[in-house]
Amino acid sequence: MNATVNIGRRLLHLTNLDKVLYPQAGFSKAQVLNYYRRVAPVLLPHLRRRPLTLKRYPGGVDQQFFYEKRCPAHRPKWLPTAAVWSKHNGADIRFCLIEEPAALMWVANLASIELHTYLFQAPRVDRPTMIALDLDPGEGCTIVDCARLGLKLHRRLAAMGLEALAKTSGGKGFHMYVPLNSAGATFEQTKTFARDLAQRLEREDPHRVTSNMRRDLRRGRIFVDWSQNDAHKTTVCVYSLRARARPTVSTPLTWAEVQAAVRRGRPEALTFEAWQVAERIEKRGDLFSQVLTVRQKLP
Amino acid sequence: MPVGRAIWSGSVSFGLVNIPVKLYTAVREEPVRFHMLHDQDKVRLQRRMVCPADQKEVHPEHIVKGYEIAPDQYVVVDQRELDAVLPEKSRNIEITDFVDLASIDPLYYDRSYYLLPDKNAGKAYHLLLQAMQTVGKVGIARLVMRNREYLAAIRPLEGVLALSTMHFGDEVVPASELEQKPAAVEVAQRELQAARQLIDSLAGPFDPRQYHDQYKRRLHELVERKARGEQIVTPPPVSGHKGRPVDLVEALEASLARIKGEDPRPRRATKGAPDARSSSRGSRGKSTRR
Repeated sequence: MNATVNIGRRLLHLTNLDKVLYPQAGFSKAQVLNYYRRVAPVLLPHLRRRPLTLKRYPGGVDQQFFYEKRCPAHRPKWLPTAAVWSKHNGADIRFCLIEEPAALMWVANLASIELHTYLFQAPRVDRPTMIALDLDPGEGCTIVDCARLGLKLHRRLAAMGLEALAKTSGGKGFHMYVPLNSAGATFEQTKTFARDLAQRLEREDPHRVTSNMRRDLRRGRIFVDWSQNDAHKTTVCVYSLRARARPTVSTPLTWAEVQAAVRRGRPEALTFEAWQVAERIEKRGDLFSQVLTVRQKLP
Repeated sequence: MPVGRAIWSGSVSFGLVNIPVKLYTAVREEPVRFHMLHDQDKVRLQRRMVCPADQKEVHPEHIVKGYEIAPDQYVVVDQRELDAVLPEKSRNIEITDFVDLASIDPLYYDRSYYLLPDKNAGKAYHLLLQAMQTVGKVGIARLVMRNREYLAAIRPLEGVLALSTMHFGDEVVPASELEQKPAAVEVAQRELQAARQLIDSLAGPFDPRQYHDQYKRRLHELVERKARGEQIVTPPPVSGHKGRPVDLVEALEASLARIKGEDPRPRRATKGAPDARSSSRGSRGKSTRR
C-alpha cells in the first residue's frame, strides 16, 4: 500500500507500507513509521543538527542492508543538509539533517530502520557535545554484566563530579554518555579521557574487562569501546529501532532501573521493544534529555 | 613468443645440473586504468602524504612503518630491521621434488610465467624439458624474486617450461575451516540422474577463446564513445506523487488494519528469537499496560 500524506505543511509519498520488515515479529513498515511518529517529540531533539547516517534495510531486517551517508539526491527540497569533510572521499559529504516530524517519516520510509548519529552538532564538527562509552559483552557475558560495570563506571564518574546517563544499545550492549555541551572539548580530549577510563577498568579487572578491540581478547570479557569518541564515528541514536529479530529500541534507563536489573540478574529487564518504549515515553517523558542540557567540563 | 623483457634471470638447478634461465610473464592483464583529475580544470592530481595533526606535507624521509597492535598503539619498524628478515638473495630456482600435476589443486596456483633458456643453456634446458615430458611430472621449486620467497611449480607446456608461483600451504584456507559449510542432504537417485545428464550435455573441452571480460569491453566502449564526442547522460531518478493526500495517522492505520492484529504487543513468544522474553511477568508487569 502506498499513500500520499500531509504532515504539517509537508507532502510526503509513503511506499510499501504493508511490507513486513521484521519477519519473525510480523512488524511492518507502517509499524516502523508509527513507532517513529509516536516518539518523534522526544527523538527529534537528539537528532537536531546531527548529520545522520542512514542504515537501510529495504528487504527487511534479515536481508541485505546498506549504510548511506550522502543524503539521497531525491530528498525533499525542504530537507536541510550539512556538509561534513570526508577524509576517505577527499571531499565534503552532504548528510541529511532531521529537524521535523516529516523528515523523520521520510527517512523511515526509506527503510532506514536504524538511525546513526555523530557525537557533534553541525557545523562544529570538531566539538563533541558528549562522551560515549560502549560496553559490549564478549562471548559468555550478558547485558547484565555490562550494566554492573556501568554502575562502577557511574560511581567513578560521579567521584570526578561528572554526571552520566545510560541507555541500552537495543542489542546486547550498554551505552553510557557523559554530557559536555560546553564549547571547550575536542575529540582528542574526549578520546583520551575515555581511553584512560577504559584502560583503568581493564587494569583493575583484566579477566573481565578489556579496552582492546581485538575479537580474540573479548571472549568472557566486556569490551569498553572508547574509540567511538572520534569525529568520524557514529553511534546508534537513542530511541533508534534496531534491526534484530524483534523491534528492539536503544532505550534510556534510570540508574535505579540499572541497579534493579543487576540485583535481580535479569537481562530481560534491559530489553525494550517499540511499543514499550512508546509507552515509557508517554508516562515518563525523555529520560535522556539531560544529555542535551547538562553542561560539564572534563576534569 | 613472450612479449617484453625478462623480469628475472637466474638459473634452475636440480641435482648437479645448472641451467641459466630467464623469466617472462605469461599473463597479459591490461586493466582499464583511470587517472584522477581536478574537475574544475582537468589537471592530473598528485598524491601527497599529509599529517592530519598540522595539515603539513610529510616527505618520504620522515615516513616510518608502524604495525597496529591495538587501536592507536603501534610498533615502529625501520628499514634495517625489515632488511634483516628478508629472504636471502638468490638467483637460483632449486627443484626439490617432482610430483603429479593432478595432485596440485588449482587453489594453490597464483601467477604464471615462462622460463626460457639464457645464453648457452639450450642443451641443458632441452634435456630437462624432454625428461619432464617423458615422466609426466611437475617440478616443485623455491625462488626469491623482488624480496619475496615463492613456492613454484615448473612443468613442460607447448615446448617450453612454464612456471606458476604457488601459495604456501598455510595461506590456503581448507574447506573444513569454513564456518557455514552446507549440511549433507540426501538426494533422490532420479534427481541425481537428471543433474548428471544436464552436466553431460554441457560437457566439452575447455576453450579459453569462448570467454571474455565483458565489463572491460563495455568500459572500452564507454571510453571510446566519449572520445568520439558522444554525449553520455544519466537520467535523474523518477519521483512521483500520486493520489489525494491523506492524514499520516489515517494512512498508517489503514495499512495496519490490512495486516490483522494491528499491534504486535500480545504476540510475545517467538520461537528461537534470541531476545524474546519468556513472559510478561516481572517488575514492568501488567500495570504498565492498558
